[in-house]
Amino acid sequence: MATERAGDVRQVGREALAYADTLHNLAHYLAGNDPDAQDLVQETYARALRSLHQFTPGTNLKAWLCRILRNTFVSEYRRRRGSPVVGGLDTVDPVHDVADHEIDALRKVMADELQTALMSLGEDARTVILLDLEGLTEVEVAEVMGCAVGTVKSRLSRARASLRRLIGDAAR
Amino acid sequence: MTCADARDLVLAHARGALPPGDDAAVREHLASCAACARVDHVDRMLSEVLEQRLPQHPASLALKRRLAAEWPAPPRARTSFKRFVMPALAAAAVVLALTPQLYHRLVVVPGDRNALVTEAVNDHVRVLLSQRPMDVESSDVHQVKPWFAGRLDFAPAVAFDGDAEFPLRGGAVGYFLDRRAAVFLYTRRLHTISLFVVRADGLDWPERRLEMSSRGFRVILWRAGELRTLVAKVRGEPA
Repeated sequence: MATERAGDVRQVGREALAYADTLHNLAHYLAGNDPDAQDLVQETYARALRSLHQFTPGTNLKAWLCRILRNTFVSEYRRRRGSPVVGGLDTVDPVHDVADHEIDALRKVMADELQTALMSLGEDARTVILLDLEGLTEVEVAEVMGCAVGTVKSRLSRARASLRRLIGDAAR
Repeated sequence: MTCADARDLVLAHARGALPPGDDAAVREHLASCAACARVDHVDRMLSEVLEQRLPQHPASLALKRRLAAEWPAPPRARTSFKRFVMPALAAAAVVLALTPQLYHRLVVVPGDRNALVTEAVNDHVRVLLSQRPMDVESSDVHQVKPWFAGRLDFAPAVAFDGDAEFPLRGGAVGYFLDRRAAVFLYTRRLHTISLFVVRADGLDWPERRLEMSSRGFRVILWRAGELRTLVAKVRGEPA
Protein backbone atom coordinates (compact mmCIF):
# COMPACT_ATOMS: atom_id res chain seq x y z
CA MET A 1 0.00 0.00 0.00
CA ALA A 2 2.80 2.35 1.00
CA THR A 3 4.66 1.41 -2.15
CA GLU A 4 1.60 2.14 -4.26
CA ARG A 5 1.21 5.48 -2.54
CA ALA A 6 4.86 6.36 -3.13
CA GLY A 7 4.47 5.32 -6.76
CA ASP A 8 1.41 7.56 -7.11
CA VAL A 9 3.27 10.48 -5.59
CA ARG A 10 6.18 10.01 -7.96
CA GLN A 11 3.95 9.64 -10.99
CA VAL A 12 1.72 12.59 -10.23
CA GLY A 13 4.76 14.59 -9.18
CA ARG A 14 6.49 13.94 -12.46
CA GLU A 15 3.41 15.02 -14.36
CA ALA A 16 2.65 17.94 -12.05
CA LEU A 17 6.09 19.46 -12.46
CA ALA A 18 5.53 19.53 -16.19
CA TYR A 19 2.94 22.26 -15.60
CA ALA A 20 5.30 24.67 -13.83
CA ASP A 21 5.41 27.00 -16.84
CA THR A 22 1.65 27.06 -17.19
CA LEU A 23 1.16 27.70 -13.48
CA HIS A 24 3.83 30.37 -13.34
CA ASN A 25 2.32 32.15 -16.32
CA LEU A 26 -1.12 32.12 -14.69
CA ALA A 27 0.41 33.19 -11.36
CA HIS A 28 2.25 36.05 -13.02
CA TYR A 29 -0.91 37.38 -14.59
CA LEU A 30 -2.78 37.03 -11.30
CA ALA A 31 -0.13 38.44 -8.96
CA GLY A 32 1.22 40.97 -11.42
CA ASN A 33 4.88 40.39 -10.65
CA ASP A 34 7.47 37.65 -10.76
CA PRO A 35 8.45 37.28 -7.06
CA ASP A 36 4.82 36.84 -5.97
CA ALA A 37 4.23 34.49 -8.91
CA GLN A 38 7.14 32.30 -7.79
CA ASP A 39 5.84 32.20 -4.20
CA LEU A 40 2.38 31.40 -5.46
CA VAL A 41 3.61 28.53 -7.61
CA GLN A 42 5.67 27.08 -4.77
CA GLU A 43 2.72 27.30 -2.39
CA THR A 44 0.52 25.69 -5.03
CA TYR A 45 2.82 22.68 -5.34
CA ALA A 46 3.10 22.41 -1.56
CA ARG A 47 -0.68 22.39 -1.23
CA ALA A 48 -1.02 19.97 -4.12
CA LEU A 49 1.32 17.57 -2.41
CA ARG A 50 -0.64 17.78 0.82
CA SER A 51 -3.92 17.24 -1.06
CA LEU A 52 -2.69 14.54 -3.38
CA HIS A 53 -5.19 12.05 -1.96
CA GLN A 54 -7.98 14.31 -3.28
CA PHE A 55 -6.78 14.12 -6.87
CA THR A 56 -8.75 11.69 -8.99
CA PRO A 57 -6.46 9.79 -11.38
CA GLY A 58 -7.61 10.12 -14.95
CA THR A 59 -8.92 13.66 -14.48
CA ASN A 60 -7.11 16.73 -15.74
CA LEU A 61 -4.11 17.32 -13.50
CA LYS A 62 -3.44 20.74 -15.03
CA ALA A 63 -6.97 21.90 -14.18
CA TRP A 64 -6.60 20.55 -10.64
CA LEU A 65 -3.35 22.46 -10.15
CA CYS A 66 -4.83 25.63 -11.64
CA ARG A 67 -7.71 25.37 -9.18
CA ILE A 68 -5.30 25.07 -6.26
CA LEU A 69 -3.29 28.01 -7.55
CA ARG A 70 -6.34 30.20 -7.94
CA ASN A 71 -7.70 29.24 -4.53
CA THR A 72 -4.31 29.96 -2.99
CA PHE A 73 -4.23 33.32 -4.67
CA VAL A 74 -7.73 34.18 -3.51
CA SER A 75 -7.23 32.97 0.05
CA GLU A 76 -3.70 34.15 0.69
CA TYR A 77 -2.21 36.63 -1.68
CA ARG A 78 -5.21 38.77 -2.46
CA ARG A 79 -6.18 38.93 1.20
CA ARG A 80 -2.63 39.75 2.21
CA ARG A 81 -2.53 42.58 -0.25
CA GLY A 82 -5.93 43.72 0.92
CA SER A 83 -7.04 43.97 -2.65
CA PRO A 84 -10.67 43.25 -3.28
CA VAL A 85 -11.78 41.58 -6.47
CA VAL A 86 -11.50 44.07 -9.26
CA GLY A 87 -14.58 44.38 -11.40
CA GLY A 88 -14.62 44.48 -15.13
CA LEU A 89 -16.25 41.26 -16.15
CA ASP A 90 -19.69 42.59 -16.85
CA THR A 91 -18.76 46.07 -17.84
CA VAL A 92 -19.33 45.27 -21.48
CA ASP A 93 -22.79 44.95 -22.86
CA PRO A 94 -23.04 41.33 -24.04
CA VAL A 95 -24.34 42.53 -27.38
CA HIS A 96 -21.76 45.28 -27.70
CA ASP A 97 -21.05 45.65 -31.41
CA VAL A 98 -17.56 45.71 -32.82
CA ALA A 99 -16.26 49.11 -33.86
CA ASP A 100 -13.93 49.56 -36.82
CA HIS A 101 -11.15 50.91 -34.61
CA GLU A 102 -11.23 47.68 -32.55
CA ILE A 103 -10.44 45.66 -35.65
CA ASP A 104 -7.61 48.00 -36.64
CA ALA A 105 -6.24 47.89 -33.11
CA LEU A 106 -6.29 44.10 -33.03
CA ARG A 107 -4.31 43.95 -36.25
CA LYS A 108 -1.63 46.26 -34.85
CA VAL A 109 -1.55 45.46 -31.15
CA MET A 110 1.92 44.73 -29.78
CA ALA A 111 2.77 42.16 -27.11
CA ASP A 112 3.24 44.68 -24.29
CA GLU A 113 0.03 46.49 -25.18
CA LEU A 114 -1.82 43.20 -25.15
CA GLN A 115 -0.39 42.35 -21.76
CA THR A 116 -1.35 45.77 -20.38
CA ALA A 117 -4.89 45.37 -21.66
CA LEU A 118 -5.19 41.91 -20.13
CA MET A 119 -3.87 43.17 -16.79
CA SER A 120 -6.49 45.91 -16.87
CA LEU A 121 -9.24 43.33 -16.67
CA GLY A 122 -10.59 42.01 -13.40
CA GLU A 123 -8.93 38.94 -11.92
CA ASP A 124 -11.74 36.59 -12.87
CA ALA A 125 -11.77 37.89 -16.43
CA ARG A 126 -8.02 37.47 -16.73
CA THR A 127 -8.21 34.00 -15.27
CA VAL A 128 -10.97 32.78 -17.52
CA ILE A 129 -9.16 34.07 -20.61
CA LEU A 130 -5.86 32.46 -19.58
CA LEU A 131 -7.43 29.13 -18.65
CA ASP A 132 -9.23 29.07 -21.97
CA LEU A 133 -5.95 29.84 -23.75
CA GLU A 134 -4.37 26.92 -21.92
CA GLY A 135 -6.89 24.65 -23.54
CA LEU A 136 -9.02 23.83 -20.52
CA THR A 137 -12.58 22.88 -21.37
CA GLU A 138 -15.49 24.96 -20.13
CA VAL A 139 -16.24 22.23 -17.59
CA GLU A 140 -12.67 22.36 -16.29
CA VAL A 141 -12.66 26.16 -16.21
CA ALA A 142 -15.92 26.01 -14.25
CA GLU A 143 -14.28 23.70 -11.71
CA VAL A 144 -11.29 26.00 -11.38
CA MET A 145 -13.45 29.09 -11.00
CA GLY A 146 -16.07 27.41 -8.81
CA CYS A 147 -18.99 28.39 -10.98
CA ALA A 148 -21.47 26.85 -13.42
CA VAL A 149 -20.48 25.96 -16.98
CA GLY A 150 -23.03 28.42 -18.33
CA THR A 151 -21.42 31.14 -16.25
CA VAL A 152 -18.06 30.33 -17.82
CA LYS A 153 -19.50 30.78 -21.31
CA SER A 154 -20.88 34.21 -20.53
CA ARG A 155 -17.86 35.27 -18.44
CA LEU A 156 -15.49 34.29 -21.21
CA SER A 157 -17.56 36.05 -23.81
CA ARG A 158 -17.74 39.24 -21.76
CA ALA A 159 -14.09 39.08 -20.77
CA ARG A 160 -12.99 38.79 -24.38
CA ALA A 161 -15.32 41.57 -25.44
CA SER A 162 -13.87 43.76 -22.66
CA LEU A 163 -10.36 42.92 -23.81
CA ARG A 164 -11.19 43.82 -27.41
CA ARG A 165 -12.62 47.12 -26.27
CA LEU A 166 -9.60 47.90 -24.06
CA ILE A 167 -7.24 47.18 -26.94
CA GLY A 168 -9.33 49.38 -29.20
CA ASP A 169 -9.53 52.23 -26.68
CA ALA A 170 -5.80 52.12 -26.02
CA ALA A 171 -5.09 52.51 -29.72
CA ARG A 172 -7.21 55.63 -30.06
CA MET B 1 -31.52 32.49 -30.90
CA THR B 2 -30.88 36.02 -29.66
CA CYS B 3 -27.69 37.98 -30.33
CA ALA B 4 -26.74 37.68 -26.63
CA ASP B 5 -27.10 33.89 -26.82
CA ALA B 6 -25.13 33.72 -30.07
CA ARG B 7 -22.26 35.79 -28.70
CA ASP B 8 -21.79 33.48 -25.77
CA LEU B 9 -21.43 30.63 -28.24
CA VAL B 10 -19.39 32.05 -31.14
CA LEU B 11 -16.09 31.06 -29.55
CA ALA B 12 -17.14 27.45 -29.07
CA HIS B 13 -18.59 27.54 -32.60
CA ALA B 14 -15.27 28.75 -34.02
CA ARG B 15 -13.52 25.87 -32.27
CA GLY B 16 -16.02 23.28 -33.40
CA ALA B 17 -16.83 22.53 -29.77
CA LEU B 18 -20.60 22.91 -29.91
CA PRO B 19 -23.07 20.04 -30.13
CA PRO B 20 -24.48 19.74 -33.68
CA GLY B 21 -27.83 21.32 -32.78
CA ASP B 22 -26.33 24.39 -31.12
CA ASP B 23 -23.73 24.69 -33.85
CA ALA B 24 -26.39 24.72 -36.55
CA ALA B 25 -28.37 27.34 -34.62
CA VAL B 26 -25.31 29.59 -34.28
CA ARG B 27 -24.45 29.15 -37.95
CA GLU B 28 -27.99 30.03 -38.93
CA HIS B 29 -27.93 33.10 -36.71
CA LEU B 30 -24.58 34.27 -38.07
CA ALA B 31 -25.87 33.91 -41.63
CA SER B 32 -28.72 36.28 -40.89
CA CYS B 33 -27.07 38.73 -38.46
CA ALA B 34 -24.23 40.84 -39.84
CA ALA B 35 -23.35 42.27 -36.41
CA CYS B 36 -22.89 38.84 -34.85
CA ALA B 37 -21.00 37.59 -37.92
CA ARG B 38 -18.63 40.53 -37.41
CA VAL B 39 -18.21 39.60 -33.75
CA ASP B 40 -17.42 36.03 -34.82
CA HIS B 41 -14.78 37.30 -37.24
CA VAL B 42 -13.18 39.62 -34.69
CA ASP B 43 -13.27 36.95 -32.00
CA ARG B 44 -11.24 34.67 -34.26
CA MET B 45 -8.77 37.52 -34.74
CA LEU B 46 -8.54 37.96 -30.98
CA SER B 47 -7.81 34.24 -30.51
CA GLU B 48 -4.97 34.45 -32.99
CA VAL B 49 -3.58 37.60 -31.41
CA LEU B 50 -3.68 36.10 -27.90
CA GLU B 51 -2.04 32.88 -29.02
CA GLN B 52 0.70 34.55 -30.99
CA ARG B 53 1.44 37.79 -29.18
CA LEU B 54 0.51 37.52 -25.50
CA PRO B 55 3.79 37.46 -23.53
CA GLN B 56 4.35 34.21 -21.68
CA HIS B 57 5.98 34.09 -18.25
CA PRO B 58 7.42 30.60 -17.80
CA ALA B 59 8.91 29.39 -14.53
CA SER B 60 12.61 30.04 -14.20
CA LEU B 61 14.99 27.12 -14.20
CA ALA B 62 15.83 27.91 -10.56
CA LEU B 63 12.17 27.63 -9.57
CA LYS B 64 11.80 24.37 -11.47
CA ARG B 65 14.81 22.96 -9.69
CA ARG B 66 13.42 24.04 -6.32
CA LEU B 67 10.07 22.45 -7.11
CA ALA B 68 11.70 19.24 -8.28
CA ALA B 69 13.79 19.11 -5.13
CA GLU B 70 10.77 19.63 -2.91
CA TRP B 71 8.55 17.02 -4.53
CA PRO B 72 7.71 14.82 -2.76
CA ALA B 73 8.20 16.97 0.34
CA PRO B 74 7.47 14.63 3.27
CA PRO B 75 10.79 13.36 4.67
CA ARG B 76 9.62 9.76 4.61
CA ALA B 77 8.75 9.96 0.96
CA ARG B 78 12.06 11.64 0.22
CA THR B 79 13.92 8.82 1.95
CA SER B 80 11.99 6.30 -0.10
CA PHE B 81 12.75 8.25 -3.20
CA LYS B 82 16.48 8.21 -2.57
CA ARG B 83 16.56 4.61 -1.48
CA PHE B 84 14.41 3.04 -4.15
CA VAL B 85 13.82 5.38 -7.04
CA MET B 86 17.36 6.53 -7.71
CA PRO B 87 18.62 2.96 -8.27
CA ALA B 88 15.53 2.32 -10.36
CA LEU B 89 16.27 5.33 -12.51
CA ALA B 90 19.85 4.23 -12.95
CA ALA B 91 18.60 0.83 -14.03
CA ALA B 92 16.13 2.46 -16.35
CA ALA B 93 18.90 4.41 -18.00
CA VAL B 94 20.66 1.15 -18.77
CA VAL B 95 17.50 -0.35 -20.16
CA LEU B 96 17.03 2.77 -22.21
CA ALA B 97 20.44 2.43 -23.79
CA LEU B 98 19.82 -1.19 -24.64
CA THR B 99 16.17 -1.39 -25.54
CA PRO B 100 14.27 1.87 -25.91
CA GLN B 101 11.03 0.03 -26.63
CA LEU B 102 11.24 -1.87 -23.37
CA TYR B 103 12.17 1.30 -21.55
CA HIS B 104 9.10 3.02 -22.93
CA ARG B 105 6.79 0.22 -21.90
CA LEU B 106 8.24 -0.20 -18.45
CA VAL B 107 9.13 3.27 -17.33
CA VAL B 108 7.29 5.97 -19.24
CA VAL B 109 4.09 6.73 -17.44
CA PRO B 110 0.83 7.29 -19.22
CA GLY B 111 -0.21 10.89 -18.87
CA ASP B 112 -1.71 13.87 -20.60
CA ARG B 113 -0.09 13.83 -24.01
CA ASN B 114 -1.80 17.09 -24.77
CA ALA B 115 0.54 18.64 -22.22
CA LEU B 116 3.42 17.90 -24.58
CA VAL B 117 1.64 19.52 -27.49
CA THR B 118 0.62 22.52 -25.39
CA GLU B 119 4.19 22.94 -24.17
CA ALA B 120 5.49 22.66 -27.73
CA VAL B 121 3.17 25.40 -28.91
CA ASN B 122 3.97 27.59 -25.88
CA ASP B 123 7.68 27.18 -26.51
CA HIS B 124 7.28 27.86 -30.21
CA VAL B 125 5.30 31.04 -29.45
CA ARG B 126 8.02 32.12 -27.02
CA VAL B 127 10.53 31.70 -29.83
CA LEU B 128 8.36 33.81 -32.12
CA LEU B 129 8.04 36.54 -29.49
CA SER B 130 11.64 36.51 -28.38
CA GLN B 131 13.75 39.53 -29.25
CA ARG B 132 16.76 37.24 -29.52
CA PRO B 133 15.56 33.74 -30.33
CA MET B 134 18.98 32.34 -31.28
CA ASP B 135 22.15 31.97 -29.27
CA VAL B 136 24.10 30.88 -32.31
CA GLU B 137 23.21 32.14 -35.78
CA SER B 138 24.36 30.04 -38.68
CA SER B 139 22.91 28.13 -41.58
CA ASP B 140 25.67 25.56 -41.24
CA VAL B 141 24.60 22.70 -39.02
CA HIS B 142 28.26 21.84 -38.47
CA GLN B 143 28.62 25.14 -36.65
CA VAL B 144 25.35 24.91 -34.77
CA LYS B 145 25.59 21.35 -33.45
CA PRO B 146 29.07 21.74 -31.90
CA TRP B 147 27.91 24.90 -30.16
CA PHE B 148 25.67 22.75 -27.91
CA ALA B 149 28.68 20.86 -26.53
CA GLY B 150 28.96 21.61 -22.84
CA ARG B 151 25.60 23.33 -22.77
CA LEU B 152 23.46 20.21 -22.71
CA ASP B 153 23.82 16.81 -21.06
CA PHE B 154 23.14 15.05 -24.35
CA ALA B 155 24.19 15.42 -27.96
CA PRO B 156 21.22 16.59 -30.04
CA ALA B 157 20.93 14.39 -33.10
CA VAL B 158 19.17 16.11 -35.97
CA ALA B 159 18.76 14.32 -39.26
CA PHE B 160 17.82 17.41 -41.25
CA ASP B 161 20.58 19.95 -41.86
CA GLY B 162 18.38 22.46 -43.66
CA ASP B 163 18.23 23.11 -47.38
CA ALA B 164 17.28 25.86 -49.80
CA GLU B 165 13.58 25.44 -49.06
CA PHE B 166 13.93 25.12 -45.27
CA PRO B 167 17.19 26.92 -44.42
CA LEU B 168 18.61 26.54 -40.94
CA ARG B 169 18.88 29.88 -39.10
CA GLY B 170 20.60 28.82 -35.93
CA GLY B 171 20.11 27.32 -32.52
CA ALA B 172 19.63 28.04 -28.85
CA VAL B 173 19.32 26.29 -25.53
CA GLY B 174 15.72 26.40 -24.41
CA TYR B 175 13.51 24.62 -21.95
CA PHE B 176 10.87 22.05 -22.59
CA LEU B 177 8.79 21.36 -19.49
CA ASP B 178 11.34 20.68 -16.75
CA ARG B 179 14.39 20.00 -18.89
CA ARG B 180 16.81 21.64 -21.25
CA ALA B 181 16.17 21.42 -24.94
CA ALA B 182 18.25 21.96 -28.03
CA VAL B 183 16.30 24.38 -30.19
CA PHE B 184 16.96 24.49 -33.91
CA LEU B 185 15.28 27.21 -35.93
CA TYR B 186 14.47 26.86 -39.60
CA THR B 187 12.50 29.10 -41.89
CA ARG B 188 10.07 28.44 -44.66
CA ARG B 189 9.43 31.68 -46.54
CA LEU B 190 8.34 34.04 -43.74
CA HIS B 191 7.46 31.30 -41.28
CA THR B 192 9.61 30.12 -38.41
CA ILE B 193 9.86 26.44 -37.64
CA SER B 194 11.15 25.38 -34.22
CA LEU B 195 12.63 21.99 -33.65
CA PHE B 196 13.15 20.97 -30.04
CA VAL B 197 15.30 17.99 -29.10
CA VAL B 198 14.81 16.81 -25.54
CA ARG B 199 15.60 13.83 -23.36
CA ALA B 200 12.65 11.53 -23.14
CA ASP B 201 12.91 10.13 -19.66
CA GLY B 202 9.73 10.56 -17.67
CA LEU B 203 7.65 11.92 -20.53
CA ASP B 204 4.61 10.26 -22.00
CA TRP B 205 6.01 10.29 -25.49
CA PRO B 206 4.07 8.54 -28.26
CA GLU B 207 5.41 5.26 -29.58
CA ARG B 208 4.95 6.38 -33.15
CA ARG B 209 5.21 9.69 -34.94
CA LEU B 210 2.31 11.85 -33.81
CA GLU B 211 1.01 14.88 -35.66
CA MET B 212 -1.46 17.23 -34.02
CA SER B 213 -2.80 20.74 -34.46
CA SER B 214 -3.15 23.09 -31.54
CA ARG B 215 -4.07 26.78 -31.43
CA GLY B 216 -3.35 27.13 -35.13
CA PHE B 217 0.05 25.45 -35.03
CA ARG B 218 1.01 22.05 -36.30
CA VAL B 219 3.03 19.95 -33.91
CA ILE B 220 4.87 16.78 -34.78
CA LEU B 221 6.37 14.51 -32.15
CA TRP B 222 8.67 11.68 -32.92
CA ARG B 223 11.39 9.65 -31.35
CA ALA B 224 14.99 9.37 -32.44
CA GLY B 225 16.88 6.78 -30.46
CA GLU B 226 16.99 7.51 -26.79
CA LEU B 227 16.00 11.13 -27.38
CA ARG B 228 12.56 12.25 -28.34
CA THR B 229 12.51 14.88 -31.00
CA LEU B 230 9.76 17.38 -31.29
CA VAL B 231 8.86 19.85 -33.99
CA ALA B 232 6.49 22.75 -33.58
CA LYS B 233 5.53 23.98 -36.99
CA VAL B 234 3.55 26.89 -38.26
CA ARG B 235 0.12 26.07 -39.57
CA GLY B 236 -0.17 25.10 -43.20
CA GLU B 237 3.45 24.22 -43.74
CA PRO B 238 4.48 20.73 -44.72
CA ALA B 239 6.47 18.55 -42.32
